[in-house]
Amino acid sequence: MIRALASAASGMNAQQLNVDTIANNLANANTNGFKARRTQFADLLYQNLIQPGAAAGSQTIIPSGLQVGLGTRPSSNDIISLQGTFTETDNPLDLAIEGKGFFQIRLPSGETAYTRDGGFQLDATGNIVTADGNPLEPQITVPAQAQSITIAADGTVSYKQSGQAASQVVGQIQLANFANPAGLNSIGGNLFSQTDASGDPTVGVPGGQEGIGSLMQGYVEGSNVNIVNEFVNLIVSQRAYDANSKVVKAADEMYQQVNSITQ
Amino acid sequence: MDGFTAAAASGMRARLETLDLLANNLANASAPGFKVDREFYGTYLSADAAESPGNGTGSVMPVIEKQWTDYAQGSLTPTGNSLDVALKGKGFFVAISPSGPLLTRDGSFRLSSGGDLETQDGFKVRGQDGNPIQLDATKPVVITSEGEIRQDGQLAAQLDIVDKKAGTDLSKHGMNYYNFPQDGMAVAGADLQQGSLESSNFEPAESAVRLVTVLRQFEMLQRAVTLSTEMNRQVVEQVARVTS
Repeated sequence: MIRALASAASGMNAQQLNVDTIANNLANANTNGFKARRTQFADLLYQNLIQPGAAAGSQTIIPSGLQVGLGTRPSSNDIISLQGTFTETDNPLDLAIEGKGFFQIRLPSGETAYTRDGGFQLDATGNIVTADGNPLEPQITVPAQAQSITIAADGTVSYKQSGQAASQVVGQIQLANFANPAGLNSIGGNLFSQTDASGDPTVGVPGGQEGIGSLMQGYVEGSNVNIVNEFVNLIVSQRAYDANSKVVKAADEMYQQVNSITQ
Repeated sequence: MDGFTAAAASGMRARLETLDLLANNLANASAPGFKVDREFYGTYLSADAAESPGNGTGSVMPVIEKQWTDYAQGSLTPTGNSLDVALKGKGFFVAISPSGPLLTRDGSFRLSSGGDLETQDGFKVRGQDGNPIQLDATKPVVITSEGEIRQDGQLAAQLDIVDKKAGTDLSKHGMNYYNFPQDGMAVAGADLQQGSLESSNFEPAESAVRLVTVLRQFEMLQRAVTLSTEMNRQVVEQVARVTS
């Protein structure tokens, strides 16, 4: 009895976490470069009520035992690294990565963080920075006299000055690629940090190594949250929660009946 | 206890255990690769009764003496993650835990920074040569439906897919694993789908029906126990009464 109640409670807890994740995904449906997370579950330990191979009588043995599981637990909520949708903005500093790579951002602490959000801006000194003001790594500075900025698919940043025919190259954007992007750590502000699970980044120029991706100027990558999928998951999760609560009710009713045997 | 009460009480206990199994199935509705457990009712004859010449006359108690796992295919959910692999049809992946090999249908793998293909718990995934699978962590991974892992078009490793031998059953280890049976496993033909995960094969509608069934059967048995105690009470109070 206690087993059924505890299993159902663990299922309800797990579905609550699932709904939390779905809520965060939906809340970030319009966040540039946001990667949805999905919750994964695993079953808990099993209680062996009857050991397989135990004697059932003097001549027979039980071929398979009786194992009762004790519920579920959330095992991970990993990042889904599907490409988000591209939105045209015509802003010369909006960049979308067509591939697996990440932009490298230098945090005030000196550490490097990674992002897919390519909505960049210029700061007072002409550095290319994120919306939060953290500069790209390696740092790229566009002089104030630049008339138009061009960022090529391979990350080369160049500008044109008025009255000059030739464009000046100021640097090349580099991307980082991870063996296991699902293992990255979300630190908020659209940024990720590396972990042991994600592995060390392989840094390269866009379009260089396989899969790192190339850049598209004038576009931003939207979130990869699939609203329809999230709603379907929400319904499934809600129904699973419902079903688990029915088990609690059933266990309660059965308990009541046991108590009503002796009057 | 008389035979009637004992049989009904034993049936009630069996329904409680059924509810335990059902609760666990429901709780694991979202665990990838989870296979539901079902009860297997048997009847219990005490050893003496079974060996006596007229063994049909003893009380027969309904008990759950084993559960069986329903290995029916769960539906495949696309995830888009290249390290998610779903098994279509029979078979299990082999994970190498510190205490020996374990089986799993949960193909949500990850690649460690050292290039080891691992399960969510950090156990290495076994290749067909019996060694942990080692890949180049910097290159994209392509997994074919036959279980070949390719990088840059080259065959890097082959996933070890095994199946249980006919007539044997697996015991569950927890955390989406099954214990590796002592008598070994058979080789299975792999049919994989990269970028998908197999959902649990739990059916919500069926579970709802089973929940109601268990509840009503329990209620009937509870009535039976009440009835038999009532009969016993009448025997004691009325039959033994000499004058009215």
